[in-house]
Amino acid sequence: MASLIRYIIRRLLFMIPVFLGVAILTFAVGNAAGNPIDLIRAGLRNPNPAVLRALTAYYHLDRPVWERFLYWLWDLMHGNLGVSLSGRPVISQIGPWTFTTLELQILALILAVVIGVPVGVFSSKHQYSKTDYAITTTAIFGYSMPVFWFGIMLIVIFSLWLGWLPSSGAVSVNRPWWGISFLDPIAHLILPTLVLTYVELATFVRLVRANMLEVMRQDYILAARASGLSERTVTYRYALRNAISPVVTIIGLGFGAALAGAPATETTFSWPGLGLAFTQAALTLDIPLVEGITIVITVMVLIANLITDLVYAVIDPRVTVQ
Amino acid sequence: MPEKLLEVSNLRTYFFTEAGVVKALDGMSLEVNKGQAVGLVGESGSGKSVTAQSVLRIVPRPGRIVHGSIKFEGEDLLSKSDDDMRKLRGPKMAIVFQDPTTSLNPVFTVEKQLTDILMLHRDLTKEAASKRALSLLEHVGIQEPEKRLKAYPHELSGGMKQRIAIARALSCEPVLLFADEPTTNLDVTIQAQVLELLKQLQKELNMTMVMITHDMGIIADMTERVTVLYAGKVMEVADTPTLFHSPKHPYTEALLKAVPSVKQTRALEVIPGNIPNLIEPPSGCVFNPRCKYAKDICTKQEPPLEKVEEGHYVACHFWRELTLEGRAG
Amino acid sequence: MSESRPKRGASQWAVAWRRFRRNKSGLLGGAIVIFFVFVALVGPFVVAYPARSYLSLYEGDAGTPPSFKHPFGVEDSGIDVFSETVNAAHNDLYVGLAATLITTLIGVLVGACAGYFKGVVSDVLLGVIQMFFVIPVLLLILLFARVFSVLVFKGLGLTLIVLILAFFGWSGIAFIVRGETFRLKEMEFVQAARSLGAGSYRLLFRHIVPNILSPVIVIATLNIAGFILTEVVVSFLGFGDPNTSTWGLLLNEGFGYVRTSWWVSLFPGLAVVFCVLGFNLMGDGLSDALNPRLRE
Repeated sequence: MASLIRYIIRRLLFMIPVFLGVAILTFAVGNAAGNPIDLIRAGLRNPNPAVLRALTAYYHLDRPVWERFLYWLWDLMHGNLGVSLSGRPVISQIGPWTFTTLELQILALILAVVIGVPVGVFSSKHQYSKTDYAITTTAIFGYSMPVFWFGIMLIVIFSLWLGWLPSSGAVSVNRPWWGISFLDPIAHLILPTLVLTYVELATFVRLVRANMLEVMRQDYILAARASGLSERTVTYRYALRNAISPVVTIIGLGFGAALAGAPATETTFSWPGLGLAFTQAALTLDIPLVEGITIVITVMVLIANLITDLVYAVIDPRVTVQ
Repeated sequence: MPEKLLEVSNLRTYFFTEAGVVKALDGMSLEVNKGQAVGLVGESGSGKSVTAQSVLRIVPRPGRIVHGSIKFEGEDLLSKSDDDMRKLRGPKMAIVFQDPTTSLNPVFTVEKQLTDILMLHRDLTKEAASKRALSLLEHVGIQEPEKRLKAYPHELSGGMKQRIAIARALSCEPVLLFADEPTTNLDVTIQAQVLELLKQLQKELNMTMVMITHDMGIIADMTERVTVLYAGKVMEVADTPTLFHSPKHPYTEALLKAVPSVKQTRALEVIPGNIPNLIEPPSGCVFNPRCKYAKDICTKQEPPLEKVEEGHYVACHFWRELTLEGRAG
Repeated sequence: MSESRPKRGASQWAVAWRRFRRNKSGLLGGAIVIFFVFVALVGPFVVAYPARSYLSLYEGDAGTPPSFKHPFGVEDSGIDVFSETVNAAHNDLYVGLAATLITTLIGVLVGACAGYFKGVVSDVLLGVIQMFFVIPVLLLILLFARVFSVLVFKGLGLTLIVLILAFFGWSGIAFIVRGETFRLKEMEFVQAARSLGAGSYRLLFRHIVPNILSPVIVIATLNIAGFILTEVVVSFLGFGDPNTSTWGLLLNEGFGYVRTSWWVSLFPGLAVVFCVLGFNLMGDGLSDALNPRLRE
């Protein structure tokens, strides 16, 4: 237990420089034109005077660069993300967006793991069979295609041609879909979740399958069989436990990647989350908003990684030793 | 009348790989009487480990037993269902594997690995199983067993891990134990200890042991009877003293010559060549490419296993004509 | 069996090649890649319309669905989708290959140093590698791309995209290379070379690096697939270069009127899928061939 706590602390300490690194990069880009206001102007936008005043104060434009960075960092840690070009404080908008994004991402992740792991195990136990072949092929298509393109195709089929599902947004503006109001958000969730789950699933299935194949070759599995343990025990308790640790890491990284990929997914479905907001903010060069969203997503990714590390350490205690 | 515990006849275990069919065991026979310590000797790749796996019927994919018979306590093992075989694995027969680092599950504590087996076969509660596991560790000579019980394998030394592997194999007091190169991966100083432990345990539990090794020294020390295996076939079978004093097979002679001894003054003789390709083994006698006595017939006809005298069999065309060097003492 | 003249042993590459040849999906992947390379190189000279050409508008074919004349249909703006897809191939492949080349070089260099040297250097390098590994790179890529496209007057250009992708994408290789270097450094053949007088750089580059080539080749191949996908996303969202034909750009243009002209989204997307699939299959095949796991 003690080594577990020490390990978590070590990981936490590591997250700090990572966060700083992203902060530096984001700040650097924001100041690529000298200062954020000039950059906004370079994007042919002229902030209105009230916003201009607020931003000049927020960014401490009268100070040298490194002081500006420290002020900005300080503000970040206290939740002050500045004011977007629309005039509204960044932080107030991020709340609902975060919730909307997480709603989709977490659902997809859970489904991908719950479906992907058993399918991967099944596939590994029936290696070279036709089913295994079909599963592997489907999986490899899954991570060869752009998430958003798959989404577009499904929209075309299920929304435009068949009309079964809505094509955009999280809720309907006019009539609720299928006529029943509480089904409406669910109807909107189906396509984006399907798309995201499929792509994440593909990675998990492949990984679990590959790891299980590797683990099942090991001597300790042979020894477990030699001790008379049932095939089910050997597969699900002895083998899977060993095979799952790299999968846990990939789940964590995959979640991070999916979050990072939110702009594409959400743009496709006009899903009103952080990703869509990021895309629009970046295209319109709403620098404060863009910076704020980047930081928030980064923090979420780091938290996801920390949780992954924790789960990993519980499953495979070898990692807590230095 | 000594009771036959294990009777393996004409066993063929093949591995169906992408590169071809690997004939790991190609007509191998073995007889072990109750209470005996029998040796199975040969180089790496001769099929020694596969024999143990075949008897327990845990040959890993893509391997399969394709021919032959295995009788244990008079019963035919090959016709048993998988459920019945599992009841035998542990309580009746067990294997100690070569590398304790890979034969113990890295993510489970020692306790869990032992108690799982005990609870399965002996129907014990968790507490009773833990107690028994503790006493097992004491039995195999582990210091501070309470601490070791809660430890993970990576926290333990090689010698300790192997003792635990032995404890695991013996946890349900099997009648037959296969020791598959149990000391090969250990330090020399630990090797002697582990071998002593095995000898002692075998006597105590009146266990029948099959010692699988490539080391003739271990054969001399631990076994009463020995089978020499090469490329999946039996070359020679004899009582250990007989095999050492008057070997009848060129391969046996070569194996004996390769073991150094203190009194020796001549150079160690090396067996030229490598073990053959098991997908396309040599025709005739499978040892002929490396045999210094090989004649034309050796490349054409496979020599049958012939009786030299009671209890001594050899598979060589020229065993009558050849005078081979054994070892004294 | 009589003694024949001893044959020269097969090098590990020859063995790997033989294994790769037996791997059907790997070969399929290789075939697909060769097909796309061919299309990329030869295609632009063969297709009916040059890149970014609105000619079909004047021919009155704007916005038409797939037909004999326009196998993939026509965009509302008059761009022939088939020609454009073919014309874009070399740009997408360029991005994938160039980014992979750069990231492989950086990754091997940084990873080898991180794995070989001890102490502060190694720890710092590892930290940097892990940092780039963990952060949400796509966001930063998009941000950098957008800012630079505004500041650089000529527009973004593919090379700048390549540089941005490479800046954020080298950590994967570096991580693996570090692990392998670390592992190999402790192996006996390195100790042996050192005992014969080899210095650090010689050890690193003549002994260790050749042995890490196998996993690097596999990852590099898979990276090509990944970089192409990333470029497609970047262009699709509108952060790419609007003057260079890329599949992502096509998808971006098609998305706006996907309700009426679905073919603009379908076919370029299929091109991406198959191109990426090709590299993925090839990478898998290479992985199987170079990492023997069969036990006799």
